[in-house]
Amino acid sequence: MSGQQRDAAKSLSALAAIFILAVLVSPTTADGSNIFLQLGNLTDILRQVSIIGIISLAMNFVILTGGIDLSVGSILALSTTVVALVLTRWQPGFSYSIEITLAILAALVISTACGALSGAVIAVLDVQPFVVTLAGMIGIRGLAKWSSNNANVDVGFGQDVASAFANMFRGKAVTIACYVVLAIVFAVLLSRTIFGRYVRAVGDNERAALYAGLPIRRVKLWVYSLSGLLAGFAGVLYAAENHQGNPNAGVGYELDSIAAVVIGGTQLSGGKGTMSGTVIGTLMIGLLTNMLRLKNVDSNVEMMVKGGIILLAVAVQKQGKRAQ
Amino acid sequence: MILQLSEIDKRFDGVRALQGANFSLFAGEVHALMGENGAGKSTLAKIIAGAIAADRGQCFVDGAAVTINNPRDAQRLGISIIYQELDLFPHLTVAENLAIGNHRLKEGGLVRLADLDRFAEPFLEQVGLTCSPRCEVKPLSTGEKQLVAIARALSMRARIIIMDEPTSSLFDDSVERLFKLIVALKEQGIGIIYVSHRMDEIFRICDRVTVMRDGQTVDTRAIQEVSPPELIRMMIGREWQARDRRPAKSSGEVVLSFSGLTTAKLRDVSFEVRKGEVLGIAGLLGSGRSEIGAALMGLDRWKQGQIILRGKQVSIKSVKTALNLGIRWLPEDRKLDGLMMQMSILENGTISDLVPVSWFGFISRQRERQAAMSAFGALSLKAASIDLPVRTLSGGNQQKVLLARCLLGDPDLIFLDDATRGIDVGAKEDIYQLIEQLATQGKAILMVSSELPELLRCCDRILVMREGAVAAQLEAGRTTQNEILTLATRSPVQVGGRA
Repeated sequence: MSGQQRDAAKSLSALAAIFILAVLVSPTTADGSNIFLQLGNLTDILRQVSIIGIISLAMNFVILTGGIDLSVGSILALSTTVVALVLTRWQPGFSYSIEITLAILAALVISTACGALSGAVIAVLDVQPFVVTLAGMIGIRGLAKWSSNNANVDVGFGQDVASAFANMFRGKAVTIACYVVLAIVFAVLLSRTIFGRYVRAVGDNERAALYAGLPIRRVKLWVYSLSGLLAGFAGVLYAAENHQGNPNAGVGYELDSIAAVVIGGTQLSGGKGTMSGTVIGTLMIGLLTNMLRLKNVDSNVEMMVKGGIILLAVAVQKQGKRAQ
Repeated sequence: MILQLSEIDKRFDGVRALQGANFSLFAGEVHALMGENGAGKSTLAKIIAGAIAADRGQCFVDGAAVTINNPRDAQRLGISIIYQELDLFPHLTVAENLAIGNHRLKEGGLVRLADLDRFAEPFLEQVGLTCSPRCEVKPLSTGEKQLVAIARALSMRARIIIMDEPTSSLFDDSVERLFKLIVALKEQGIGIIYVSHRMDEIFRICDRVTVMRDGQTVDTRAIQEVSPPELIRMMIGREWQARDRRPAKSSGEVVLSFSGLTTAKLRDVSFEVRKGEVLGIAGLLGSGRSEIGAALMGLDRWKQGQIILRGKQVSIKSVKTALNLGIRWLPEDRKLDGLMMQMSILENGTISDLVPVSWFGFISRQRERQAAMSAFGALSLKAASIDLPVRTLSGGNQQKVLLARCLLGDPDLIFLDDATRGIDVGAKEDIYQLIEQLATQGKAILMVSSELPELLRCCDRILVMREGAVAAQLEAGRTTQNEILTLATRSPVQVGGRA
């Protein structure tokens, strides 16, 4: 069994352990059925983790190159704002479907551009990703607030184009399907393509990657662009789900997605990690949150537990490494 | 006897690294620790230095049983280790490097720079280091850094100093300085454990030698009682026959020529390599020998001059361009410059040549594997599985992975930068034979080496570099180590009319 398979087995068993724990501690309904195990609850968990889950897929790529992207929460906010603004303030008189497509495209293009800008600065000027994306996190949040005059842009419940958009994308099935499809696409991208191989090589040893003739700058530009794109896409889903463009949305999402990636076994210094690990990490946080909420645990306590889990995950990884 | 180890066992992840190892050291003795890569030399050295803990076994210092759990314990017992990669703090000054973590200095509180200088100076003088105690360590040469590390050991009152392949990155003049220092330390009664692969050094400066194989200490002998072939036999456990130099030939067409090439580190470098020829490049570290590779691969900007490849003038601004032109390069430091340590053997081998085994960016696992296996096979790479991380391999096999990476592109020209550095005799011989084969196949080979006998054995001609310029071009069959060394260290001498 290779190291990677062993890691995957380890995270899967951790996920299973949390699942079993959740079943055991779950409250039951009057007729004795387990609330946690109800289909509605399980799909709720998937839907809840989808937004962070989608962001985490690209965050995994960024971290695999040895980088970090702190701007994803702000990009998500900008994306919700852009899609809502275009839908509510722009009346070109096209059919709904064309208008919705254009609104989503606008949000995705702007989000990807934000990511690409970070990527370009990181790749070309060789500045630390932490600093560049920290600047992005602050600046893009400002842009989101400025463009919406600091107010939420409501997406209605009526018959207009904005409402049609919300109705189209707010469904549980749509959200979950988007996450599942993207997870598969990104898993294939990482494990089966030249790009995925290059991403890991750059994070493992950047100098060696340069000397082996790899296009390091292009790889970095791509991973940050993808990160922007997926944060933007998550923003579109967020806007639909919450019926508004919210320039204050997504605060702290960068940390949640980094947590999912790290719990999923990706090494923060880059080079090592899998997409399945990241999905498992996301699900672990989701299950845990759900379990605690079903027990009516105070949300502050919930945060403390999450903090502990992150430490535990990293400690377990460290242990495995030392044994080698 | 100042140090004695008996029946030391150590396992990593269930894999046996040491089994029943025994070792002893007298005061004022230089004791060589020899063995192939993976034989357990470094593990034993690290156990003595407290960097890792033994699973079983006993350790005596001055006849008293001791337990060494961490480097600090070892330092208090007067044991210091000088690692191959010199674990100094590059951004601290020389004096600070001596003082930091030094158990002889009080911890905490404020330190006056003048006090630090006063503390450091006697030790710097002792090792013959001329720089100021206040200069930063980073810009020093490898040889000077090593002296700082030794001064640090002395400042901790070390009586037992372990040197892990101390000459692997030094050229001969720094080696001489180191040897003089070792003799001086010996006279002061310091015991030195000298880990090395280099036979000539062992016979020159060591008093006794302990040979390790497969985690066991095979034997300990006085140096007068053994011969080099005997040591090699003990190390590899079988007979070993070094082959002679192949007959020189250099009749093919010119593959590569540098004409007056100047970069930040090269001055007016001109030479040519022909098909089927092995051109050696000798020189001190920083003489421009590796920089020829950097210029060839487009890493250093060309200020003046040209590179002509197969008769056409080329412009190379990136490694990618060089690879596309059929040039392959094996960088100097396999860990820092070459390998992605966490990635698999397979992935490391194919990383530069994924496009031919892919379809629209999707890697065909089967074709990748076939391509890699053919290259690995040609190199007799030894690995349990090519899906294991490359870091699990021995140094020699790691180097073969990098060589496989070179071969996969089926290049016309290969630049090997110290390809046999720090690898065991068996693997070295494999690499020599590979170079020979490649030359026979008509590839042109440029080969940098710190070891002159190796250049004399493998090359047709030898380019001697000095201070960024070509000091001489010699016929390998008609020169000597002495001549090369003289040319590499002193003012350029016109030899053979083509300097």
